[in-house]
Amino acid sequence: MTRRFRTFAAVAALTAALLASSEAAAQSCGAGLAGARRIESSSYALAFRTQPAKIVIGQHFAVEFAVCAKGERPSPEAVQVDALMPEHRHGMNYKTSVRKTGPDRFRADGLMFHMPGRWDLVFEVQGAGQTERLVRSIVVQ
Amino acid sequence: MSFRAHLASLVAAVACVPSAGAADGAPGRSLAFNPEEVRAIVSHGPWPVPWTPDRSNRVSGSPEAIAFGEQLFFDPRFSSNGAVSCATCHVPERQWTDGRALAIGLEEADRHTPGLLNVRLNRWFGWDGTGDSLWAQSIRPMLDPREMGMSERRIAGIVRFDRDLACRYREVFGAVPSATDDTGITVDAAKALAAFQETLASGRTPFDDFRDALARGDRKAGARYPESAQRGLKLFVGKGRCNLCHFGPNFTNGEFEEIGIPHYTKSRAIDWGRARGIKLMKASRFSRLRGYSDDSTGATAESSRHVELLWRNYGEFRIPSLRNVALTAPYMHNGYLATLRDVVRHYSELDLNRMHLGPELVDSDGAAVDPQIPTLLKPLRLSEQEIDDLVAFLETLTEKKPQSRRASVATPCRP
Repeated sequence: MTRRFRTFAAVAALTAALLASSEAAAQSCGAGLAGARRIESSSYALAFRTQPAKIVIGQHFAVEFAVCAKGERPSPEAVQVDALMPEHRHGMNYKTSVRKTGPDRFRADGLMFHMPGRWDLVFEVQGAGQTERLVRSIVVQ
Repeated sequence: MSFRAHLASLVAAVACVPSAGAADGAPGRSLAFNPEEVRAIVSHGPWPVPWTPDRSNRVSGSPEAIAFGEQLFFDPRFSSNGAVSCATCHVPERQWTDGRALAIGLEEADRHTPGLLNVRLNRWFGWDGTGDSLWAQSIRPMLDPREMGMSERRIAGIVRFDRDLACRYREVFGAVPSATDDTGITVDAAKALAAFQETLASGRTPFDDFRDALARGDRKAGARYPESAQRGLKLFVGKGRCNLCHFGPNFTNGEFEEIGIPHYTKSRAIDWGRARGIKLMKASRFSRLRGYSDDSTGATAESSRHVELLWRNYGEFRIPSLRNVALTAPYMHNGYLATLRDVVRHYSELDLNRMHLGPELVDSDGAAVDPQIPTLLKPLRLSEQEIDDLVAFLETLTEKKPQSRRASVATPCRP
């Protein structure tokens, strides 16, 4: 085995290990958030849960979530949370405030679903000069 | 039993069961309601809603504050001409509204007097939500030059120098009225007024009896509910989608909508509704975001913190409760519609071109780009029978024997 080949093999193994480790981190994203639901995009894994767990129409709730970068993507720089009713073409009447609560962990306050029906909960994750939208539909009755 | 199984049993219980004794004299018959309808109907109860105090008002629920607030409510000295009290517009015998299209205090106002029944359940107060608490809202008409025309100094002076009021103030707040803090006394008077208004509640209605019967699967009791009202109820939670906004036990989601009612006032000014209400609330010294709130946790100010002005807020007005709606004509923020039938017909024939739509929904001339676009509101195109049925349903949201509360006779306060 030539020296050049050994170097190449070492670099490849290291890269694979890093990627595997990053994928594993994405897989375990939000491990501490019991009952969290997961959303994935090409660059991020996101796990979230609402506080309180049951969303009541016309009452404020919060969203606790974790965002984990996949592959070599850097950690998110900022996250915005919003929600809208696609069938009615309107959003919420309240603007959420998002704060970081730990490494890759966030909390959004001030959400309120003021009508029964299907809402799209939208996370806009910003990082490396790009924004990705992660969306999960929620039906409230 | 799972919720789904329970719903199925409820549906079976009310499906097409002939029975005698409908309330309107017609033979009773329970219509079939599908599980989705049952869930929607049951969500309009139970009634009444348990009482919870307003944590931003330290005298909320206090019997002494309620009595003090009642006294203030009926006292015409809290107006610049000594002839207008809160009860001038909020008339007890008229469900705490006045039966007029536009309120008349010192002068005629631009808006209809909202009723006060169940007002404690509101999130926002007034047609535009300027008030984020009942006590903040209670200050506004006293200081409005067209309504009661007072100043904080004059309000404080009356409380301070009237022996009986000063005595009651001390009884409620534990100290004599401040000799210098006019604003503090005004806020405290408003908090007593709010404590009184929190006690104004409507009772149970024929709808509540039907709703409870449906929830417990009592088909015999359910069949007493008029068939026309049942058909109207089906429309309300179905084709009409009225329950999207008129949601929950109080038949309102507490928010705001624009429904194509003219925006112009009598003086041809534009009433911007909710858009102005948000601006005024954010600027108010008396909002829950400021120091006069008694809620040190800030929890009761969550809506105030997070509300923000949006394009669609222009021309929106608060979605009112429908409880006792048959007794509170005329309707809408400016009394534009005289009867319940007019209201139902308005939604049936809704003209989207009269609505203030968001920029994504209008062309350069402000007209709706496409009447078929999926927006919240669209003309219902109801038949005459459907209009009759919806009106019949709305009438069952009204108490059969509404209370007619008058001012109690206050015994003199003993220092």
